[in-house]
Amino acid sequence: MNIVVFVKQVPDTNDVKWTENNNIDRTNMESVINPADRQALEAALILKDRYGATISAIAMGPAKAVEVLKEAIAMGVDDAFLLCDSKFAGSDTCATSKVLAAAVKEKLPQTDLILFGQTAIDGETGQTGPSTATRLGLTSISNVIEIIEINEKSIIVNTETEKEKITLKTELPCALCINNYVFKPRVPRINGYIKAQDYDYKSYNIYDLNLTTDDAGVKGSPTYVSKVFKNKEGRNCKLLNYEDEGCIESLKKEILEQ
Amino acid sequence: MEPNGILIYGELNEDLNVHNVVLELLTKARELKTKIWNQRIMVCIIGKRMNYEPIIQELGNHGANDVVLITDDRLAEYNNNYYGEIFTQIAKKYPPRIILIGATNQGKEIASYTATKLETGLTADCTNLDIGENNLLLSTRPTFGGQLTADILCKTFPQMATVQANTFKATTCENYVNAIFNWIDIDKIENHIEIINKIKKSQNAKDINTAQVIVCGGAGACKDNGFTLIYQLAQKLNGAVAGTREAFEKGYITKSQQIGQTGKTVAPKLYIAVGISGANQHLAGIKNSDKIIAINNDKNAPIFEHADVGIVGDLFKVLPDLIDNIDK
Repeated sequence: MNIVVFVKQVPDTNDVKWTENNNIDRTNMESVINPADRQALEAALILKDRYGATISAIAMGPAKAVEVLKEAIAMGVDDAFLLCDSKFAGSDTCATSKVLAAAVKEKLPQTDLILFGQTAIDGETGQTGPSTATRLGLTSISNVIEIIEINEKSIIVNTETEKEKITLKTELPCALCINNYVFKPRVPRINGYIKAQDYDYKSYNIYDLNLTTDDAGVKGSPTYVSKVFKNKEGRNCKLLNYEDEGCIESLKKEILEQ
Repeated sequence: MEPNGILIYGELNEDLNVHNVVLELLTKARELKTKIWNQRIMVCIIGKRMNYEPIIQELGNHGANDVVLITDDRLAEYNNNYYGEIFTQIAKKYPPRIILIGATNQGKEIASYTATKLETGLTADCTNLDIGENNLLLSTRPTFGGQLTADILCKTFPQMATVQANTFKATTCENYVNAIFNWIDIDKIENHIEIINKIKKSQNAKDINTAQVIVCGGAGACKDNGFTLIYQLAQKLNGAVAGTREAFEKGYITKSQQIGQTGKTVAPKLYIAVGISGANQHLAGIKNSDKIIAINNDKNAPIFEHADVGIVGDLFKVLPDLIDNIDK
């Protein structure tokens, strides 16, 4: 069984920097692996432990995004490569899904299962996984909380919506978006770190993926940020100090007034 | 020629009533359409065969000009393969300028599928919608963990956005509605999903979507007996308990009690924020509350700028004191 896990580099700092085009400046930030993607890696590793599998981790981003691939290798994935090209910079969900789909199509066409984290903590759109699957003509299942069974042809999973827990079966290949909280990611062992240090991380550019400059980056993105601003539409706050006399009485009045 | 009209996904609840987010989107669409030469508003309903007359009327009363229905007993339950493809086919048949979808579990899946099939952009979990330059849809959403807010435009048609329930207020209007029964060859849609079992989750907690009073705990309450105090206060006020993302991640609340961009948007009469600093991510989910009271020990916490009443003090002292006094 061949599994692909997409992992994203997300900023670790509260100090976000922006490029002139109002896109996130990913070259000048501390990178960590997106927490939900770590859960997806764990889900893949559980399948490998249980059934045997070859897992490839793929990240898209600047050269330093290789850091998240190192972590994936340390955790136990078999191969990891980077989709890296300045022409990818500024891609929105639509363009990103084109690049990710092309990576599977061109480099790992024998993939049985693709795993994504449900959402990324920076963009939080939750669309990249379903969109990539749609481009590959695959069914995508959201909010997966448990993988019950898998064989060559199909997979049975538990998913969760706001009101229901649903068990469903779908054919392989398919894509799963792994819930952000249920799979506890393993801590890499020392030999994992050693392998990660020595590993030869391949990197593919836009031409390696058989894409044109119209497909990715700012050019390939239908949406664009026209303005970024800090929220200032506040309310006029009546501020009381707990230490002051009568504070609780005033608070009680405010509560019961409504 | 540019495409015309606003298409809304008419999600139905399990009880086969219209999801409130649809009525909220219709109300917003009425405002948007006046800014783009009164284009028509269409709602697309997908479901089993039954009498849709009351639903059509309700949609009409909220501003739908056309309601297009695709009904088949195989569509009794939501299935991404069917619903995504059917909605896409409707969007192709009546090419709209704007598509609005509620950011529910199924709405998000349908939106992703449709946007990809139509090769267009999609802005998720918008906190406001307007018409911007060149009559394009201007979608506003918090970005980057909610530290900032971004205005997003889309250069392709249709321009798509998803919006959480309770972001807009639903109102009715005088309107004439037209029903269109459509037929789509469902046999031609490939279905790869088989639903084996469904279990309704037990809803122990009071529903924060409809609660009039909400007491919400943040990082500051995620220690000692913080949430016990919050539950006690909520009980006294006959209110619901909610929490921030951190409270959910630490296990103090369930996902259905989480407020904020990755949780729910609420609109109660009274919202009490306890130990919440006030990231945009969270503020986006509470700004429609009538009255906001914040309790925090840091007088510089951003939450105070978004509250009507602020108490600067240690929640572990303020709450017991308040709980003791509330009945007196």
